[in-house]
Amino acid sequence: MPHDSALALRGPSLRGPNLRGPNLRGRYLRTMKFPVPRALIITLAALAIFAALLLAAGKDPLRAYADTLVYVFGNSYGFSELFVRMTPVLLTAVAVALPARLGLINVGGEGQLYMGAWLATAGALAFPNLPAWLLLPLMTIFGFAGGALWALLPGVLRAARLVNETISTLLLNYIAPLIVSFFIFGPWRSPESASYPQSPAFVDAARLPSIPGTRVHAGLLFGVVSLALYSFLMRRTRLGLKMRAIGGNPEASVRLGIPVPAFIVATMAVAGGIAGIAGMAEVSAIQGRLVSGLSPGYGFMGFLVAWLAGNSAGGIAVMAFLFAVISSIGDILQITQDVPYAVVNLLMAVILFIVLGQKRRTP
Amino acid sequence: MRLRLLIPLLMPLWLLLPGALPLAAQTKLTVGAIYVGSVHDYGYNEAMHDGLMAMKKAIPGVTLLEAENVPETAESTRIMEGMIQHGAKLIFATSFGHQQFAFDLAKQHPDVDFEHAGGWMQMPNFGNFFGATQAAWYPMGVAAGKMTKSNILGFVAGVPIGYVVGNINAFAMGARSVNPKAEVHVVVTGGWSDKAKEAAAANALIDQGADVVTMHVDSPATVIQTAEHRGVYSIGFQSIAAKALAPKFWITGLGFTWGPFMTETAKSVMAGGFKPAMVREGLGQMMAVAPFGPAVPAATRTLVTAAAEKVEKGYNPFTGPVTDNTGVVRIKDGESWGGDKMGSFDWYVEGVIGKPK
Amino acid sequence: MSTSFAAGVLTSSILSGTSLLYATLGELVGERAGIVNLGLEGTMLIGASVGFAAASVTGDPYLGLLAAGLAGTAANLLFGFVVISRRANQLAAGLTLMFFGFGASALIGRPFVGAIVPGLPEFFGFDALVWLAAPTAVGLWCVIFRTRWGLGLRAVGEDPVAAFASGRRPESLRYQALSLGGFLGGIGGAHLSLALTLTWDEGMTAGRGFIAIALVIFARWNPLWAVPGALVFGGAEALQLQLQARGADVSPFLMNMTPYLLTMLILVFWGWNRRSTAPAALGRNFFGVE
Repeated sequence: MPHDSALALRGPSLRGPNLRGPNLRGRYLRTMKFPVPRALIITLAALAIFAALLLAAGKDPLRAYADTLVYVFGNSYGFSELFVRMTPVLLTAVAVALPARLGLINVGGEGQLYMGAWLATAGALAFPNLPAWLLLPLMTIFGFAGGALWALLPGVLRAARLVNETISTLLLNYIAPLIVSFFIFGPWRSPESASYPQSPAFVDAARLPSIPGTRVHAGLLFGVVSLALYSFLMRRTRLGLKMRAIGGNPEASVRLGIPVPAFIVATMAVAGGIAGIAGMAEVSAIQGRLVSGLSPGYGFMGFLVAWLAGNSAGGIAVMAFLFAVISSIGDILQITQDVPYAVVNLLMAVILFIVLGQKRRTP
Repeated sequence: MRLRLLIPLLMPLWLLLPGALPLAAQTKLTVGAIYVGSVHDYGYNEAMHDGLMAMKKAIPGVTLLEAENVPETAESTRIMEGMIQHGAKLIFATSFGHQQFAFDLAKQHPDVDFEHAGGWMQMPNFGNFFGATQAAWYPMGVAAGKMTKSNILGFVAGVPIGYVVGNINAFAMGARSVNPKAEVHVVVTGGWSDKAKEAAAANALIDQGADVVTMHVDSPATVIQTAEHRGVYSIGFQSIAAKALAPKFWITGLGFTWGPFMTETAKSVMAGGFKPAMVREGLGQMMAVAPFGPAVPAATRTLVTAAAEKVEKGYNPFTGPVTDNTGVVRIKDGESWGGDKMGSFDWYVEGVIGKPK
Repeated sequence: MSTSFAAGVLTSSILSGTSLLYATLGELVGERAGIVNLGLEGTMLIGASVGFAAASVTGDPYLGLLAAGLAGTAANLLFGFVVISRRANQLAAGLTLMFFGFGASALIGRPFVGAIVPGLPEFFGFDALVWLAAPTAVGLWCVIFRTRWGLGLRAVGEDPVAAFASGRRPESLRYQALSLGGFLGGIGGAHLSLALTLTWDEGMTAGRGFIAIALVIFARWNPLWAVPGALVFGGAEALQLQLQARGADVSPFLMNMTPYLLTMLILVFWGWNRRSTAPAALGRNFFGVE
């Protein structure tokens, strides 16, 4: 497992153990993959490469970039959509970052999102008569539980040293959407809509509130709160310290008496639960029912965002915002220049390849 | 670091900016259209696109914004809203699953008119249109029933919604009206467009003995090409252009002709007189029968053309008594199921093997 | 004429499984060298789109196949550069390749949507790729387990430092593995567009790249086991469509789940046995002797 030795616990000294952990202030910029000016250069380089590719395909990249800036920063709807896009990615990124502190790799955000959506739907369909102030928290708990259970299995398998969590979470990513499809084609198929495969529409009480006039919804609060809690946990609690210890040096942690397997299972479960909440928010606020095709890769984007951010909370917020802006370029290209939305993945990939291609002194 | 915190806190102010900026160029009318697939699919989306192109030609000065591969999820809201922000005043939501999202948007934008294909919802600024496909499948069934030698007809269905089941039923009834031994076997792929599954489904049906295959999926291309490859007859759907894919074994097909309707709608929006309605027009108006392939004998062509004309004049195959494939009488003698009931089929007629699911 | 149910399912499984098999073999080679490529889906998509485009432009499906293979190699080399020479995190780089593949294939394939291409010619019912699939697996087994190059490959995958110490060049071997792997992955993608469906559609691989990654594990990194594995995974989908055609009422989703559940079970069971057959250095980077 890759060591993150920069955050390892220093040994006890004459003044007693350093409970505050390493000084992270100067680290803030460096725990992101790169300092801010370099980030700008990377982004500009990627935009240039992408522009060249678009030109080769006969499109007008400068107009697209200009349109995007106008749409995203000059139009309240365009601006609000950034947050709509960011919300699930914030949550799935925390779902990756949290286990990453233990040295675990969770690529199962997709599956955990779907299962959270699934269980939240079960709640919404089972209790349509509850008032919103009861139903929504219930659905949130269900959403958390769905994702948590889905991540629990890989956690247990890893703690028991049976299966590497990277593989098990990846496999479970495929099973979850199939379970959702089974239900919307079968037991939960809505009798309205000429038997189109989707669940019945959620009652109003089951819909997360949004800022009127936009689609920005309470899920954003979940995202921000999870991010804040994650940051607080990691930097200021003993629990976070122990987690970083495990991530830095598992064998030493065991010898120090930290119950590593329990941490692994609990952390995976909590991470899965956070991704599950993302799923609940998507079905409750955005879709209004359970459908297939819930996630255009939010789980994977979360992974990349967390990785780019070096698992730091502030970095995650910035990266998620950046990804949202890039996604908007895709929307504009699709609407105004007849370019398939999928091409925007190319821009994301170029940025990532440039970042990945940086020379590194230490692994 | 503190500055870093200020910026995110100031951001909510941005939400106060006005909605539509002057992003749209000067134009008579901006029309937006979203497609669930690609417009080069020889099928549903291509037919829609052709209709819009016809509209564009008929009304010079119209700006057309198109977006392909828009999934039937909340993603479509984002795209449609984007088009509205770019000045669109008329939106065509061309796939069935876009209905709810378009409808919700219509509530938020009373100054924009919406036309949805295939649904039933209506509002002052939201209308619905589609071809009356069910009855039109009857002459297709006649053609298949006459051309088959194995008496097994294969039908590849995408999503088994009521309208699709109705199409299958009319097809079966048409086939059995000229060939009482004909059977229709149905394979459901689960989505409007999944080429690998459609190829496998067509192969499975042909393995089963079907010598005529047809389909209700977004693009008939894969099924037709598979059939052609295996020397089996095919009947097309969605777009007449599909005939080009099966030079030898094409029988006939159905295609949509949306142009006149779309032009009319655009003109009514420009004149300010948009009226929402549930428009269902069949053969002769929004639908047409494709030319026959070389393998079809003259006698069959006459029969099929006669059946098509009968439908154009108003023949409704869903006139009682009609029994389902478990023996239960679903449409009683003297009763007749009209256009409003076409979405509620959840049973197959006699002669169709399977259960709609 | 009606073929028997078994024959129908077998034929469909073989057709479905061929692209899976090539992709699996491609991933397997890389993983044997210690590199896990999560972006196989991207490589396959690039192969499918480039193959289709090339066949459309030149009118020759075999040229299309060649182009697909080369494009797959190029994609994998891009991935290889960041992972080998720049020692980047393999999982992140893999996911990046996946995104890259989605975008590049959409851009490349766009002008060719709806084009009619000559499909791969068939011999006795199957095209050349299908006939060559199992022999390729056997050939790869021979290369990995019976040649010096293969030995070096496996050494690098087990312990790159030791391999380096014994005179091999891990970086070079890994590049070679990824090139071969990319070629196979590109061909796997092209089989979909040039043989199975004769079309190009955005995202048409529909997760097959990830299925192939699971298949590598299922096959326990042995090319020979990949053949029945590809049949099983390809068969699940084929089986439920054939059952439907005969009127049986089987949920396609439950059926499609079975290969993944099977893989999980195998992993758990094999983990229980603690017989680790995964290349020991899989996923880690080689840092040279410092």
